[in-house]
Amino acid sequence: MTTLKIEQVSRTFPARHGNAPTRALEPTDLTIGNNDFVTILGPSGCGKSTLLRIVAGLDRPTGGRVTLDGREVTGPGADRGMVFQSYTLFPWLTVRENIAFGLRERGVPQAERYKIADAFIRQVGLSGFENHWPKQLSGGMQQRTAIARALANDPKILLLDEPFGALDNQTRALMQEMLLGIWERDQKTVLFVTHDIEEAIFLGSRVVVMSARPGRIKAEIAVDLPHPRSYKIKTTPEFVQLKERLVEEIRTEALKVAEHA
Amino acid sequence: MRPLDPVTSKQRAAYGLAFFVLFVALWSWATFGGHVSKTFLANPLTMVQEGVELLSKHGFLFDIGMTIWRVLGGFVLAAIIAVPLGVLMGAYKPVEAFLEPFVSFARYLPASAFIPLLILWAGIGELQKLLVIFIGSVFQIILMIAVTVGATRRDLVEAAYTLGARDRGIIRRVLLPSSAPEIAEILRLVLGWAWTYVIVAELIGSSSGIGHMITDSQALLNTGQIIFGIIVIGLIGLVSDFLFKAFNAWLFPWKLA
Ligand SMILES: Nc1ncnc2c1ncn2[C@@H]1O[C@H](COP(=O)(O)OP(=O)(O)OP(=O)(O)O)[C@@H](O)[C@H]1O
Ligand SMILES: [Mg+2]
Repeated sequence: MTTLKIEQVSRTFPARHGNAPTRALEPTDLTIGNNDFVTILGPSGCGKSTLLRIVAGLDRPTGGRVTLDGREVTGPGADRGMVFQSYTLFPWLTVRENIAFGLRERGVPQAERYKIADAFIRQVGLSGFENHWPKQLSGGMQQRTAIARALANDPKILLLDEPFGALDNQTRALMQEMLLGIWERDQKTVLFVTHDIEEAIFLGSRVVVMSARPGRIKAEIAVDLPHPRSYKIKTTPEFVQLKERLVEEIRTEALKVAEHA
Repeated sequence: MRPLDPVTSKQRAAYGLAFFVLFVALWSWATFGGHVSKTFLANPLTMVQEGVELLSKHGFLFDIGMTIWRVLGGFVLAAIIAVPLGVLMGAYKPVEAFLEPFVSFARYLPASAFIPLLILWAGIGELQKLLVIFIGSVFQIILMIAVTVGATRRDLVEAAYTLGARDRGIIRRVLLPSSAPEIAEILRLVLGWAWTYVIVAELIGSSSGIGHMITDSQALLNTGQIIFGIIVIGLIGLVSDFLFKAFNAWLFPWKLA
């Protein structure tokens, strides 16, 4: 059983070069239960990455706290796997070695960690690319490797920060189906950040809408679409209805950003 | 020719060779054509003859061997000390704060200025020559490696942390491999500089080495031998550079992929 609790977490970046301090995140509460797939939806600059980095332990909140199964998060750890917005594969390791990185840090013997890595390589559809360097992969393949790398470590919760943000629409759709397939099969607890409304609905069991700067949670919408979901669901009336609702929510936020800019 | 357009390796070799041909042609024109006095500059043919004589009659091969050994000895000593220190400085900011000001200061001290002191301390034996190379290289390597390691991509370090890496793992399996190609490049660069120090060290108080031969020839106004010595240094540099590059490419295939 995994429960992630975000309690009154806020983050203010201190003033620099005479600029005013940036209030990136207002006090925020969010609870994610076992095997939840929560998507966080918000316009650019609303503090989504900031919130995720705090959960990962890569950044410290100015106020409030994050607990995972009752234990306070004070730094990064293998129990919270992360897939970053930018490409972060280790360029000196092959696909297989990249995926096995976390296992290696834990001291799993080589034969075993390669066996595990190869299973994940199949799951994300990268068979035949085991010995390729990251440089030789397309962006989509790199992000699939990054997802496999996070999964191979078997974290309690998987944090994804706009992992498909830089991909074209077709690739993005395929990747969404792949990720959802893994979740439907293996039941993982997932916190997924995106600014794409369709992506948020298609993947999530719950969509959390964040408001523009200073970031805070504006609305939470349950997605009661049945599983397993295929791409066809994106054209059903229920999906379209949800989408319209979220478009309205996001639009007002985006307008606010535009006015401030 | 367009900006940053690559050339094929054949073209590259041809252009590189063309410059040497042009260089020798100019040299021949100046000397054989009588535009420069023989006293100041020997012609290419004399240079080659003097070189053959040096090698066959004066045991110049031994001098070359001595010089190579001194460069490598001093350089390897410097690398053994400087690489770990540089990595530590790059990885740990307090270590950097502690050492960086001194190393930056010491880096500007010209190695050749230490020669009189070193002769006083270590005599005119091999130790003194090694120390000149050592002093000339060690601070440069430390500082350049510290900068490289310190500039490791933060996102890779963060990714490693989220995968459960601890400090040791970060240093050994992220900082080191990510800066290894740069470290190899730094060593290649500094090895080149070490060659300039060794000749200076051999010009003063030495009984062997390429630098010693050059001082001897100067006394006899034998410009052919001097030029031959300089060209030998250049050739060794060219070969060692090539070997270093090939070795680096073999060691870090992921850089080229
Ligand atoms: N290290 C930092 N120092 C100062 N300000 C920062 C820092 N990191 C983020 N910010 C500010 O915090 C705010 C939120 O940034 P964040 O990266 O969390 O946005 P985001 O929602 O992830 O945006 P995007 O969708 O574009 O990735 C921004 O205004 C940004 O300028
Ligand atoms: Mg972001």
